[in-house]
Amino acid sequence: MDTLMSRLEALLADNSIFTLQTLGYYGEGLVTTVQLVFLSLVIGLVLAIPLAIGRGSRHRWISLPIFLYCYVFRGTPLLVQLYLIYYGVVFVEGIQDTWLWVLLEKPFVPALVAFTLNTAAYTTEIFRGAIKATPRGEIEAARAYGMTQRLMLRRIVLPSAFRRALPAYGNEVIFMLHASAIASVVTIMDLTGAARFVYARFYAPFDAFLFVAAIYLCLTFAILYLFRYLEKRLLAHLKPAGG
Amino acid sequence: MAETPIPLEVRNITKRFGDTDVLKGLSLEARKGDVITLIGASGSGKSTFLRCMNLLEQPDEGELIVHGEAIRFKETKHGREPADWQQVVNMRAKLSMVFQNFNLWAHMTLLENIIEAPVHVLGKPRKEAIEQAHVLLERVGLTERANAYPAQMSGGQQQRGAIARALAMDPEVMLFDEPTSALDPELVGDVLKVMRGLADEGRTMILVTHEMAFARDVSTEVIYLHQGVIEESGPPEAVFGNPRSERLKQFLAPKH
Repeated sequence: MDTLMSRLEALLADNSIFTLQTLGYYGEGLVTTVQLVFLSLVIGLVLAIPLAIGRGSRHRWISLPIFLYCYVFRGTPLLVQLYLIYYGVVFVEGIQDTWLWVLLEKPFVPALVAFTLNTAAYTTEIFRGAIKATPRGEIEAARAYGMTQRLMLRRIVLPSAFRRALPAYGNEVIFMLHASAIASVVTIMDLTGAARFVYARFYAPFDAFLFVAAIYLCLTFAILYLFRYLEKRLLAHLKPAGG
Repeated sequence: MAETPIPLEVRNITKRFGDTDVLKGLSLEARKGDVITLIGASGSGKSTFLRCMNLLEQPDEGELIVHGEAIRFKETKHGREPADWQQVVNMRAKLSMVFQNFNLWAHMTLLENIIEAPVHVLGKPRKEAIEQAHVLLERVGLTERANAYPAQMSGGQQQRGAIARALAMDPEVMLFDEPTSALDPELVGDVLKVMRGLADEGRTMILVTHEMAFARDVSTEVIYLHQGVIEESGPPEAVFGNPRSERLKQFLAPKH
């Protein structure tokens, strides 16, 4: 470990921008970005499943609010949503006296809330489409074999829909990773925040942002690889014989 | 010893789609070992009749008695509905259906398709269901395809797989809805062979088919439907050999 550090130091010696200190900023930024994106995706996914089911409900008082939620969050820029939640909560009367304020005071939680609500809206629509595309005959077979609605949802409709939704959901994950760059405008030191800091300090836009672009590319590659693996495993049933 | 209840009784079923009367009071009684064939031109209501038997379509009027138990209905503002869906679910588990388009679950292998309902609907232990599935696969000649997905199988294989799935429920009555109509001609024979085997071993079956020679061979009763009415019915020798109604004569006449 020591020799690695000293080698790295030697490598960085004739370089005034990428020092151990600035690399440390990028490293912390990477952790923040991954935390923010991962958490918002996981929570968003958990929210989106019941929302997507409710979105297709026959009862308007269930489907209509979900439609409106999706429409609003897909119909407005994420940046605006972030501003509204980050700056807006301050003006909610009395909120500063509640336990919520401890969470909302710092930018991480408001950003997480904005990202989660945003990705949940998109994911809901992705799943809704996939659920709707369940072949009619398969649903009929499930009913004819004595499945209850709940069992059919759990065993036939959702597993089938998740698989269909996979490629579109992979896109959404990459989109969220890149959209997370705007977290830096509310003072979060994510990857882009670190790049902005380095840029401002050294006035070296190409060094600062090309470096961060490379990190995003690596992350994107990892996501693509993960989804390709998942598709290979979970979409095997769509491949024709001998494929 | 108590007499065993009749597997399926249907009385005076009617069904309307909009302004059209599709079924105008149809009845049928399937005793154990009966093979009842519904024939008729397209639009005669034979598939709808079959689908009313496991309530994939809701009949507007009429009674349905499965294994001696009458299905309870209630009136709602959307029309008549089963009063107790749990009763319907239990009833459906006793009647297995084989569809024209196979309708295997695409995201499951053939083996998974076969054990799905026995395990999750009947609550059969998984291990037992798998053993049974292998026996059934051998019976329909698909031992090698246990781990194939439906999309990787031919239509004939899918339909034989679907029959294995139906058998896995150990049903009181098997319903076949035009099981060979979506198949290439050279694949029809294998499916019919499996079905003939089922008839021979005394399975109670109700089928809708256009395979007249097959219907004549295996049926205990043939019902000819015309515009939602039973125009003629009886043993196959009578219906095919000596049709009384003019319409049935025309229907059976060789087409050019």
